[in-house]
Amino acid sequence: MEAVRAGDLPKLGILFERHHRALFDFLVRMTGNASAAEDLVQDVFVRVLKYRATWRGEGRFETWLFRIARNARADYFRTRPPDAPIDEAAEHPSGAPLPGDLLARSRDLARLQQALLLLREDKRELIVLARYRGMKLEAIADLLGIEVGAVKVRIHRAVKELRDIFQRLDESPSWNTTNSVGSCPTT
Amino acid sequence: MEHDKLSRLLPDDVDRREADGLDATWRMLGGIDTPPPDSDRMRARLDAVIDAVDHAAPPAPQQWFFRQGFGRGIRFYAVQGFAAAAMLVAGIAIGRFAMSAGAPPPDSASEIAAMRTEMRELREMVSLSLMQQQSASDRLKGVTWTGQLERPSGEVVSALLDALMHDPNVNVRLATIDALERFASREDVRRAAIEAVDRQMSPLVQIALIDFLVKTNERQSAPTLRRLVQDPRVNDAVRSRAAWGLQQLG
Repeated sequence: MEAVRAGDLPKLGILFERHHRALFDFLVRMTGNASAAEDLVQDVFVRVLKYRATWRGEGRFETWLFRIARNARADYFRTRPPDAPIDEAAEHPSGAPLPGDLLARSRDLARLQQALLLLREDKRELIVLARYRGMKLEAIADLLGIEVGAVKVRIHRAVKELRDIFQRLDESPSWNTTNSVGSCPTT
Repeated sequence: MEHDKLSRLLPDDVDRREADGLDATWRMLGGIDTPPPDSDRMRARLDAVIDAVDHAAPPAPQQWFFRQGFGRGIRFYAVQGFAAAAMLVAGIAIGRFAMSAGAPPPDSASEIAAMRTEMRELREMVSLSLMQQQSASDRLKGVTWTGQLERPSGEVVSALLDALMHDPNVNVRLATIDALERFASREDVRRAAIEAVDRQMSPLVQIALIDFLVKTNERQSAPTLRRLVQDPRVNDAVRSRAAWGLQQLG
């Protein structure tokens, strides 16, 4: 990043190779849409280029990058309509029937994925950062500008709420159609 | 993954049984996969952006030459040489005009105006010449350079429209849409954008064109956008953006 800041712009390609998959994974889980996530990754690196002079070399580069990604996502949905979510069939592109256990597991996973997308954005973000990005509590606290203790409390609440939505979807599959993301019940 | 176990991330006072229960949900989350990104396409787009930004304020020619490789360096210097020669010819012509024997001394304001016109035509010529190059990177540079032209002629607009319709490179077509924004008040540009959104094969370009039509409040595009929304063969993201566009255009 130091080289990019100094004007060696093609070095941004190295940073892209190193971080774009992690960013894409974060953004696709947050948006539920692969093409929106690709656009956003692109936007993140364009912003890195634009704001390269603001990189101070303090703290972790990854945290800075994810801060940019969070802003890019917020701006993206401020000006665009939400796109269609990930096609569930993408999990099993062949469409071939699955054995009983696998089928049940596959259905559970699809339901859990649906529950995750129904979870309020700030809660989903915590789960994605901690579970999928394996971010340390300190890094999450730094990214969100809160204390480590508060991160723990919020993760606890987020997972409890996720489990509740997951169970409700099992009891009443049409539950999600009458409940928007923002109106999920809190526990 | 580092955080396979949830209990490590919870506050100390959480009941053990509750933590174990939540841990099952946490472990199950690990089974949700995401599709892989199209890394090659994303990288190509980023490289085009880097290239455009990098050359908007070119570094010292020697550094640039070695970084870009010999072939591209030769092309760059050919264009630069062409531009320098054209400037020399323009300078001589202006000098002769000013010094011509027996003629009344030219009025300095008209002389400056004439020189400005020469320079503008020269810049235009370089942009147009770059847009005709075989390399997509050069064509992209040509499109970007048109943004620096003060009063581009109709020829530049035609070249941009031609690139929008026929350039084989997606990045060039995307850059063209940006470059055409300043000509959005022209009827032919808006008409071409409507035509292009129907003809384009690339969803990225189609989406950029829909955004262009919304930004320029082009209500005449409504029937085309409606057709896209209703066509099941059209990419889902494009249909969704077209629906949004229709909503925006009211």
